[in-house]
Amino acid sequence: MEVNVSRENNEITVRFSGRMDTLGAQEIVPQMNALAEEADKTIILDCTDLTYISSSGLRIFVTLRKAADERGGKVIVRNICNEIRNVFMMTGFLNLFEIQ
Amino acid sequence: MKANRKENKGFGMSFRTRLLLVIVAALTLEVTSIIQYIYTQRGIKHEASLRAEGELKSAENKIMDVVNQTEAAVRNSIWVAQWCLDYPDSLKRIPQRVVSENPVVVGSTIALVPGYSQKYPLYAPYATRDMETGKIRMLSLATEEYDYPSMEWFTKPLELGESYWSEPYFDENGGDMLMVTFSTPVRDNNGEIAAILTADISLDWLTELIGDIKVYPNAFSMVVSRNGQIMVCPVDTLVMKKTVDQFASESSDREALDRVNKAMLSGETGEMLVRYNGKNNHVYFAPVERTGWSLSIVLPEKELYKGVRRIGLLVNILQVLGLVMIVVILRIVTRNQIKYRQLYEQKERIENEIHIAREIQMSMIPKTFPPFPERKDLDLAASVIPAKEVGGDLYDFFIRDEKLFFCIGDVSGKGVPASLVMAVTRSLFRAMSAHETSPARIVTSMNNSISETNENNMFVTFFCGVLDLTTGQLSYCNAGHNPPLILTDAIRGLPVVPNLPLGIIRDMKFVEQETVLQYDDALFLYTDGLSEAENSSQEQFGESRIKAALHGRKSSENHLKHIEHRVSLFVDKAPQSDDLTMLFIHYLGGNPLTPCHYHLTLHNDIKQIALLPDFVDTIAMRIELDHEATSNLNLALEEAVTNVIMYAYPEGTDGVVNIDATVDGKSVSFVIADNGMAFDPTAKEKIDIAAGIDERPIGGLGIHLVRTIMDNVKYERKDEKNILTITKNYA
Repeated sequence: MEVNVSRENNEITVRFSGRMDTLGAQEIVPQMNALAEEADKTIILDCTDLTYISSSGLRIFVTLRKAADERGGKVIVRNICNEIRNVFMMTGFLNLFEIQ
Repeated sequence: MKANRKENKGFGMSFRTRLLLVIVAALTLEVTSIIQYIYTQRGIKHEASLRAEGELKSAENKIMDVVNQTEAAVRNSIWVAQWCLDYPDSLKRIPQRVVSENPVVVGSTIALVPGYSQKYPLYAPYATRDMETGKIRMLSLATEEYDYPSMEWFTKPLELGESYWSEPYFDENGGDMLMVTFSTPVRDNNGEIAAILTADISLDWLTELIGDIKVYPNAFSMVVSRNGQIMVCPVDTLVMKKTVDQFASESSDREALDRVNKAMLSGETGEMLVRYNGKNNHVYFAPVERTGWSLSIVLPEKELYKGVRRIGLLVNILQVLGLVMIVVILRIVTRNQIKYRQLYEQKERIENEIHIAREIQMSMIPKTFPPFPERKDLDLAASVIPAKEVGGDLYDFFIRDEKLFFCIGDVSGKGVPASLVMAVTRSLFRAMSAHETSPARIVTSMNNSISETNENNMFVTFFCGVLDLTTGQLSYCNAGHNPPLILTDAIRGLPVVPNLPLGIIRDMKFVEQETVLQYDDALFLYTDGLSEAENSSQEQFGESRIKAALHGRKSSENHLKHIEHRVSLFVDKAPQSDDLTMLFIHYLGGNPLTPCHYHLTLHNDIKQIALLPDFVDTIAMRIELDHEATSNLNLALEEAVTNVIMYAYPEGTDGVVNIDATVDGKSVSFVIADNGMAFDPTAKEKIDIAAGIDERPIGGLGIHLVRTIMDNVKYERKDEKNILTITKNYA
């Protein structure tokens, strides 16, 4: 599980690659918590190279979303594959996130 | 076969080709030597002509030297003579002085014109050098015997009124030697010729001088006077005896001699080819000024070209030797070629016949695939990749009474014997299995038949199986063949009792074995041509590579194609030394719902969940789930297992999670069991997925996903264990 964060103006792009299973999610939690501090900006979660997500990963997404709500920022999810879209559908995430 | 023989004709060299080759070689050599001969001859001729010219010029110069001295001796004395004309007695001192002062002059006279002096009607005092003593003697030529007024040396200058070189003559009663005389008129004060002053030179020095000219050993030189008198010539009998015209008229080659004589006598310089006595002679000639003589060098052509002839002869001998060698080499080469051609044809014929035999045999075994297109319970493929040399691999199969009879075998050795034994083995298999259903009995009868007639000690490794297509019951018997592979949820060797190959011991008892094939199981049979296929570094393909190549779901035919591809990549350019035979039997009969069990044990370490994807993939493959369904199944199992790993055991304690999966064709169920604290994940409150972000809890998604994905989720606490059973049904 790899995370690549890049900043441009008021936008933060987070590029995930690999499997965000329980193990993968645990690895990136500290990094994501730090990112929540900047949730006043627009955070783009680029999922082009993300192949799998489990509930631990979903928790990270929700946490960020909540932080953005509190701080007046925005979270955009970009490029999810069919499998993840399916998980989003099962969990109602399709309504919680702006998906591009 | 006829066609083959025709093709091979080009192999050797026909007689005509060889003859042509020799002729061309001979012509080339001959033309080269002729050209060389011509050019050498020209060069030699040119060289000879240059040398002759040089010699002639040098002789002429020497002669002229003498001539000039003589003329000068006379001319220098004219004025004294004129002065003394009136005192005849004093005249005799003049010739004496001419001789004494000029070593070239051998004699001299001053002869008065008869009647000029009243005192002496005839007066000619003659001084001559004695050749032995060198003393000068005085004689008188005014004698009756001599009669000087009639001598040519006297009459000619008188008549011409000028100096004259006489023809050579023998001066009897004078100098008594062969000589020529230079005479010049002496005129008195009235301009009348009063006397003739002369100087004689001997022809001896000329003979000596000319004799020194030696252009070639057999060449000779001649001097001819203006009247054609032969003055110097190697044949003494001709000197002063004959003119060249006389000589020519006596010869049968007169025409040629006349031509050269005419040219010489008219004072020409030149070179002529004269045929004399059947031989060609090169004659080089040049005149000597004033004397009217002609100098010539005669060079026999044979002499001239002696060297060239010798070289030419040597070249010819070498040519003949070279040609003989070419002929000999060609003979040897052709003989070898004929021998090789015969051997090649023989080998080709035998190979051809073997291949035809092989083809006939191969046509006996089933080669149409799929062999049973109407059957849904069997997918079978087989292939033989024959080695270049005929081998003895075989396979066969047929269905009788809903039973598949199949076999694979490899006859020891190669070539025709192996091929014949293979045909026999195959026929025996058909014959023995026509009424028999026990592989051991089939193999036993075959072994007895082969052993009985086995004079060459050939043996056959053989595997025979009978598969009941309805029940999946497989009975088999192995006769020393390498164990087939069985493909179930894993790939492994079929347990076999090795027994002995066919044809070794008669009445050998063969052990029959049994197993049951489930729906989707497969058997892979092969000969050692596959496992022992070698690459160029003598590495063998081996069983592990075979197993690796068999992974994945494919049709039987594609399995074989895939293996063939892998082997060809492995072997690369190394030559195939053995037949490579494979038989793939994919059983799709029996009950497709036969349950299949899988198990996985994990420790309570979150890292262990990395093992789940492979486990789920194996299960998913069994029932051919698509990617999304597999991913969902994996997610549900991960959520359930994560729960246990994270919460069942107190931190720092070791524990395990046992996962038992059952697949029965229409459903997949996982039983996840642990010895941890009692914990019912299903008791968790359900979450509202329609809720907005404010109402959303952060946790609880895991069990929600399990419930959503799976059709049945059941928890029970039993024997101090948490047992969670999750099931997914597939239509």
